[in-house]
Amino acid sequence: MNRLYYTPREVADALAISDDAVLDLINRGDLPAIRVSPRIIRVPIAAFDLWRSGFRPVRRTVTIRKTTGTLAIGEGEVLPGPRERVTG
Amino acid sequence: MIATTDRLLDYLADLVERIERYGAVVLQTDDDELGWGNDDRGDLLMDVRARPPLTVRSRSVQLTFQERWEPVGRDTWFRREYSYELRDHVRDYRRAFHRHDEARFVRTFDVVTHEHCEAPMGRAACAHYYCAPVASAMDALERLYDVWLTGAIPDCSALRCLD
Repeated sequence: MNRLYYTPREVADALAISDDAVLDLINRGDLPAIRVSPRIIRVPIAAFDLWRSGFRPVRRTVTIRKTTGTLAIGEGEVLPGPRERVTG
Repeated sequence: MIATTDRLLDYLADLVERIERYGAVVLQTDDDELGWGNDDRGDLLMDVRARPPLTVRSRSVQLTFQERWEPVGRDTWFRREYSYELRDHVRDYRRAFHRHDEARFVRTFDVVTHEHCEAPMGRAACAHYYCAPVASAMDALERLYDVWLTGAIPDCSALRCLD
């Protein structure tokens, strides 16, 4: 299976810059990355390709609209039943 | 989690921007305008669906981010419920982080949040797994996107069953 992410080292190799420079790009929020843990960072290949092409998402305008719909969060899920009270 | 109305408007814009920066596709917003739904109870509802970057494997993969915020004061909202889900129909698994029916979960398990893990989808060895609270939709995005990125089928047996 093809990998879907790069490590910071692989990004550094691709850009011909240092590992620290890559981490700096990530820490500044410039290069999209997922921080799995303090020591593990993954850069999605799709995100890297977009970033390298110069793509930056257009900031969307967000509004609040009246809706007749609803969200059924948890609907259909088997919910935990009440436990018997322990006595004695 | 508590937020003002202005913060919630930014929060949703931030989420969509983050999704798109990861190369994923937000499914329901053809125009540039995104919205919170304001339902009959006065709650604010978020329902965002996205698909990972287009590859053969991602066509049947969906990420959903749903939240219900209720008013708790003047211009103040509380995130009462959430559901963040990854459904991969190709690899046949589901991961989900939930917060709903709080009183019932607290009474039964002494927890507010829980997780679902199904591999294959529709078959769960445990109905509810322990799950640390998810800080935000962005936090959920990172966690679920990483599950998809690794390409591995989740090992549900490694999670702690609540039931």
